[in-house]
Amino acid sequence: MTISPAIRRALLLFTLLAAVGVVGLWSALWVQHGASRGLPYRDAFAKGKADEWKALGGTWELADGAMRNDSDERGAKLVTGSAYWRDYSVEADVMLLGMGGDAGLILRSSDEEQGVDTYNGYYAGLRTIDQTLVLGRAGQGWAEVANRLGVEASAVTPSQWYHLKLVAVGCQVAASERPLSGGEGTTIAVTDERCLESGRVGLRSYASGGVWRNVEVRPATQAQMAEMLVAAASRQARVEQEQSLERESSWEMYASAPGTGAAAAPSSPNVQVISSLRTMPRLNPQMATVRGTVVLASPAVFVQDATGGVAVQQAAAQSLKVGDEVEVTGKVHTSPFSSVMGEAKVRVLWENTPMPPVSVTASQAATGAFDATFIEVEGRLASKERGAGESLIFNLDAGPQSFRTVMNRGRGDSLYNALKPGSMLRLRGVAVADPAYTHDLVPFALLLRSSDDAVVLAGPPWWSASHVLAVAVAVLLLAMTANFFFHRMESWRLRAVLEERERMAYEMHDTLSQSFAGIGFQLKAIREGMPSDLPKLEQQLTLASELVRHSHEETRRSIAVLRPDQPGSDGLLSGLTECARRLVEGGSVRIVTACTGEVARLPLRVADMLYHVGQEALANAIRHGQPRMLEITLAFDKEAVQLRILDDGSGFDSGDEQSGFGLRGMRKRTADLGATLELRSRPGEGTEVSVRCSLRALKTASPRAIALSRIPWRQRRHVTDSDGCDSNSYRG
Amino acid sequence: MIAALMVSCLAGCRGDGSGSIAVIPRTSGTVPWEPENVGAQSAAAELGERVYWNASTREDDIDGQISLVSRMRPGMYKGLVLAPDHALALITPVRRALASGLPIVIVGSPLAIPAGGNLTYVLNDEEEGGRLAAARVAALLHGKGTVALLGVDPDIAGILARAESFERHLAAEQPKVTIVVRRLGTFNYAHEQEAVETVLREHPDLNVIVALSSTATRGAISAIDSSPHRQAVRVIGFDPESLPFGSACLDAMIVQDSRGMGDRAIRLLHARFKGEPFPPSILLRPLLVTRETVGSVAVREMLYTRWRPGYTDLRRSATP
Repeated sequence: MTISPAIRRALLLFTLLAAVGVVGLWSALWVQHGASRGLPYRDAFAKGKADEWKALGGTWELADGAMRNDSDERGAKLVTGSAYWRDYSVEADVMLLGMGGDAGLILRSSDEEQGVDTYNGYYAGLRTIDQTLVLGRAGQGWAEVANRLGVEASAVTPSQWYHLKLVAVGCQVAASERPLSGGEGTTIAVTDERCLESGRVGLRSYASGGVWRNVEVRPATQAQMAEMLVAAASRQARVEQEQSLERESSWEMYASAPGTGAAAAPSSPNVQVISSLRTMPRLNPQMATVRGTVVLASPAVFVQDATGGVAVQQAAAQSLKVGDEVEVTGKVHTSPFSSVMGEAKVRVLWENTPMPPVSVTASQAATGAFDATFIEVEGRLASKERGAGESLIFNLDAGPQSFRTVMNRGRGDSLYNALKPGSMLRLRGVAVADPAYTHDLVPFALLLRSSDDAVVLAGPPWWSASHVLAVAVAVLLLAMTANFFFHRMESWRLRAVLEERERMAYEMHDTLSQSFAGIGFQLKAIREGMPSDLPKLEQQLTLASELVRHSHEETRRSIAVLRPDQPGSDGLLSGLTECARRLVEGGSVRIVTACTGEVARLPLRVADMLYHVGQEALANAIRHGQPRMLEITLAFDKEAVQLRILDDGSGFDSGDEQSGFGLRGMRKRTADLGATLELRSRPGEGTEVSVRCSLRALKTASPRAIALSRIPWRQRRHVTDSDGCDSNSYRG
Repeated sequence: MIAALMVSCLAGCRGDGSGSIAVIPRTSGTVPWEPENVGAQSAAAELGERVYWNASTREDDIDGQISLVSRMRPGMYKGLVLAPDHALALITPVRRALASGLPIVIVGSPLAIPAGGNLTYVLNDEEEGGRLAAARVAALLHGKGTVALLGVDPDIAGILARAESFERHLAAEQPKVTIVVRRLGTFNYAHEQEAVETVLREHPDLNVIVALSSTATRGAISAIDSSPHRQAVRVIGFDPESLPFGSACLDAMIVQDSRGMGDRAIRLLHARFKGEPFPPSILLRPLLVTRETVGSVAVREMLYTRWRPGYTDLRRSATP
């Protein structure tokens, strides 16, 4: 089998394109999967940017140039980076906010979900419960090795900064800790035989909350790992020398862990439920004590129990975390729907996992029954705006109600920019009826803990005004394109039809027409040579001649109909000459042609008109004038074209011209294009037909004329026939 | 075409939970439920199964657990082991999962769905738990005294069952021991502590507190420890999040065998995958843990939380 060069070239081109595509794809994947893509990395917390971080649980927000998780949630995570990072180190300054858990860094993490140990990765953290630097591996479970800090280093203390570093090279993972306030640190290193080879970095806290800053991720080398291993071994040797006991991964890991919270203290007397605060006197605020869980720590503190919630204005600033179980004593200021405990003293009793929200509808929340309560509600985003103090405000509609949400800018910029009006949102936050937040525009406002409390359930409806306009434009363009291709196809089809008709016309001319002409000449010769005493035979010959002439005319008309209507300017003169030659074929008529002036390209409709008028004039001259000479002249000047058909035949009295249908047809054709037709003839002096058409005048020709000229030939013929035009003869 | 094949391969080759058995406890990272993970992982490693382990971070986060269960469908997971957070709210999600053809083993506390077909139960023997608590009270009080029953939670069917069992056994065996208080429980430590303080004020002669939930147990211990004059009151707790025997008031803990539940559930599902029918409900006996037995092998085995069974654990690196 042989392959043509064209196919070979096409195959080669396809192969080249495929190769380029494959190489490009592999390059993109190689870059995407690069073990050091995006490294080194340094956080932009100080600049208020953290769009690249993804939260899984917790209340992660930027505050004072650091990332803060004000939540006691167990296993709250914030991750970033590439899943393909392999050997690298991550380090940061870390501060614990509570006594009951740990906070630290994640490395080589993947498959993260919300939950306690729901990620595959390594974690190193500082744990307050047993005063340890803990290093372990999570994977929907947890295994660890821990160094007790109390042996030779500063103890783990909340609200103190520590510098934490976590390194992984191959299957060795090491972590070190150093108090920023001074003092000796500790290092721990483990080997994991079936290690995780790559993954993202993350921040994590377990039941304590925390603050992170100066997060840096760098590629790590074996030499760096060796340094860590030496430090860990040195520390291990000292511990063994001091015969201190190591706390290895133990069975009671969780059994001893949740000793969270401050030392137990008795409840204050006269503790009351929060809902009872609303019945306290308004005019004379009184002191009260309640117990509850912190459901919001910023921008205001809200405490909730099983009966309701209350806003708390602390007498002295105290760091509280969402989930803290507290006892609050303060002066109660009541309003119709809410209560505020002013000048309040807050005592943290326990550190607990944040409580889940109460799911309500906007209509339920609008009753005020859930004021100061942590709720979950759905609504459709109507608009968004930036509020005072860098707050972000979303205005939402939910059925007959409207409400608004308020949250700190923090990590919310990306959410704010991404959300489109019309989106359906599920929001979690503390409902407040306080006019300071609602501005008396809506029945309640929702104070979000972080941007993660807003979840997009569905984007805006697709049928927006801009989309409808886009669809309309697209449909229009599509219609125009379809129309273009339809006409192109119609044009191609018509061209094919015309070509076939032209072929048929030539076929008829070369066979039928020639035969009729020959028969006609023969009959004429017989009649001229026939004795005059045979009138009956002469009459029959005359009848036969008429029949042949008529048939010849019909054939000629059919040929004229079948031939292409648009000879074009270049072929006009040659077309008329050819027409004359065919008409006088077998005779001795001399045909003279001339073309003067600078030949210009004629519009098709002008050439078409000139051809038909000239054809008719030639046919009439030969049929009725018995000329010996025919002169066809085409003259061009700057503004017009003129066609002249002159013969030296018998001529006629031009006063009879009105009776000829052929002449009327010629006048009609010329009038349609604003041209002039002149006919000069006298008996015995021949005939001159002259057509002059102004090319400039075409621009102002009648709409009908132009429209008519654009109608396909079949339709045009129908139109002219209906006008009574007949190209048979102008001589009757 | 090659590029399309590569893209489809990359899309299809991503790891997911397909083929795993999902194990969803009431919460995770706590003593009552982490051993279930160990039991499930051990059995799965032995049987060649894989386990997906996740839970909401609070036992009362019912919506969170419903959300997790709603994700469980055949094709994504082979089976489900669930410790329901609520006796009623989980019925519909579980029924829907069953209707989709997912085999399910309910552990810990039952739902109001009869076992059969693709559903079975591996439950804590609440009757035995109640009996153990009653016997311990009897041993403490020697036939006469007062008891407060705290942490009654109708949301968890098992807690009601253990309360009934305790009262029945106590009445039968110690008729002169009186239950003077019965209180509903919450998942709020402060409220539980406050409730116990109220009980102690109202019943100064109270001898024993039986706390039916981990929160109630913690609140009771905290309230007594913060009240120096009440040190004589003893606490018997259930489902502890920790074993704080450092507190003098804590007498005993009744711990359910969640490790055994995880193990049995995985084995039942594995057999079910092979076409074997589920057996009727299985009851696992809880264990009474006292200050004397807390370090015993039995307790260590039951509360073992070491992860990655069958694998080499992390070990300290040697000097380079």
